Amino acid sequence: MQPLANVTPFKPGSRAGAIQISNVGQVFKTATQDVVALSDVSLDIKPGRFVVLVGPSGCGKSTLLMMLAGLRQQTSGTILINEAPIPQPDPNRVGVIFQEPSLFPWLTAEENVEFPLALRRIPRSDRRAKAVDALKLVGLEGFGKRHPHELSGGMKQRVSIARGLVQDPPVLLMDEPFAALDEQTRMTMGDELLRIWAATGKTVVFVTHSLTEAVYLADEVVVMSARPGRIVDHLTISLPRPRTYEMLGGETFGTLRDRIWRHIRKSA
Amino acid sequence: MSAATLRRLIVVSLVVLWELLPRLGVIPELFLPSLSSTIAAGWNDAGEYGHALAVTLYEVGVSMLFACGGGILAGAIVGSLPRPRVLIMPMVSSLYAVPLVILYPVFTVWLGIGSESKIAFAAIYGFLPTMLSTAAGIQTIDPQLLLAARSMGATLSQRLTRVIIPAAIPTVLSGLRVGGALVIVGVVVSEMLISSAGIGYLISRYRTILDSPHVFAGVLLVLAMAIAFNAAIKWIERKASIWQTGTREGQRAADEIQAGTIQPATA
Repeated sequence: MQPLANVTPFKPGSRAGAIQISNVGQVFKTATQDVVALSDVSLDIKPGRFVVLVGPSGCGKSTLLMMLAGLRQQTSGTILINEAPIPQPDPNRVGVIFQEPSLFPWLTAEENVEFPLALRRIPRSDRRAKAVDALKLVGLEGFGKRHPHELSGGMKQRVSIARGLVQDPPVLLMDEPFAALDEQTRMTMGDELLRIWAATGKTVVFVTHSLTEAVYLADEVVVMSARPGRIVDHLTISLPRPRTYEMLGGETFGTLRDRIWRHIRKSA
Repeated sequence: MSAATLRRLIVVSLVVLWELLPRLGVIPELFLPSLSSTIAAGWNDAGEYGHALAVTLYEVGVSMLFACGGGILAGAIVGSLPRPRVLIMPMVSSLYAVPLVILYPVFTVWLGIGSESKIAFAAIYGFLPTMLSTAAGIQTIDPQLLLAARSMGATLSQRLTRVIIPAAIPTVLSGLRVGGALVIVGVVVSEMLISSAGIGYLISRYRTILDSPHVFAGVLLVLAMAIAFNAAIKWIERKASIWQTGTREGQRAADEIQAGTIQPATA
């Protein structure tokens, strides 16, 4: 049994996380051959940074994210989150948001957000209060009693984000969280995420296929290539914050996106 | 006319026909006694039927406990572990086509002609569909939900009690519906074959002395039992699987809600 988690009130922004990825490799063994999914990946992420991973399909960006989440172990190298390895999922340090909202359909929005707290036997009133706060943070105040099938796609993903935030982990991992949403919702959600990130100061590692989304959201964009998956470029996005819609048409934005696109075209 | 009204009309006309046809002599009373004489026959011997009903209900209840408990347990094991699945499923599938009633004489030899043999037979009869749907329910759980639970630090037992079981409930219930119906069939059939008590026994005994009203009074009781069981399952389904209903309608409602009330928050 894991120790009782922090029972202090929900206080976003209390912690940010540092991530150190050193010489990480991942080899999948199949019956006929070994597939190298990741080769010698090193990346240093400072606390509070918004880092986006982009790259063609099969470049191992999702695999890397699963390893940061403790859902998969690397074959070589080390991963440290706040100076400690992550041999298994640890929701106190890392919150994960998937492409599918992955909400439990038999629970209400509130109960879904409470789920990770309930796993740790946190008293009901305490976890309800935290869930209400987390839902408020993602703009879903008053929707806590609804079941997932009564929520739209964007709202479901907000609930999922609230669930990732509810234990106030220093690191938030997001695996193409908006890929299943329509474009309008996607843009709104991007702004929402930036607002939440600014309010909480989390370290965010975000995987996407959309170059526009990458440049729009990120402090840093890490470009990966496939076969074997490795890092080919690491850009700092110097656009000022808050990011606005007008920047999408600007020269800086275009230059940055072109640079990423050239890498991806080369390796795809 | 709505389908529901039409349905009610059909039931009412069947009831009316049941009363009228024998009375008018279209059908001999021996083949089908009128509804009123059937009810009268049952009413006059209410004590006998009441006792028979109690025996049958007891047998049905205990068999359901075994069939459902065992079926859910076995289905959970077979559904979640590949190895037992490979070993057991082919056997179960071929067993499904065997008329299990051939086992009943054996059970009467082993367990006597009292309730025990009926319970054993009916429990096995209802066990298979319950087990098969539980296994199917567990195998079809969205793996993404399990991954999400794991990412939140859920242990194996927490994943079982908080994800796998609730996710499987709707499929398990539909298995219970079939399994429970078969339990009723199993109990009544075995009572009719070899026994000394129960509604099936009464039906069978009155048939040998060609007392049609008393036979049909028993049939009515079985009918009522089946309808009550169905209603109970429906009620449980409504209570337990709210989350499964109205995915599309819920979606539409949610879209409207969002268009009306939710604004992109700004900070």
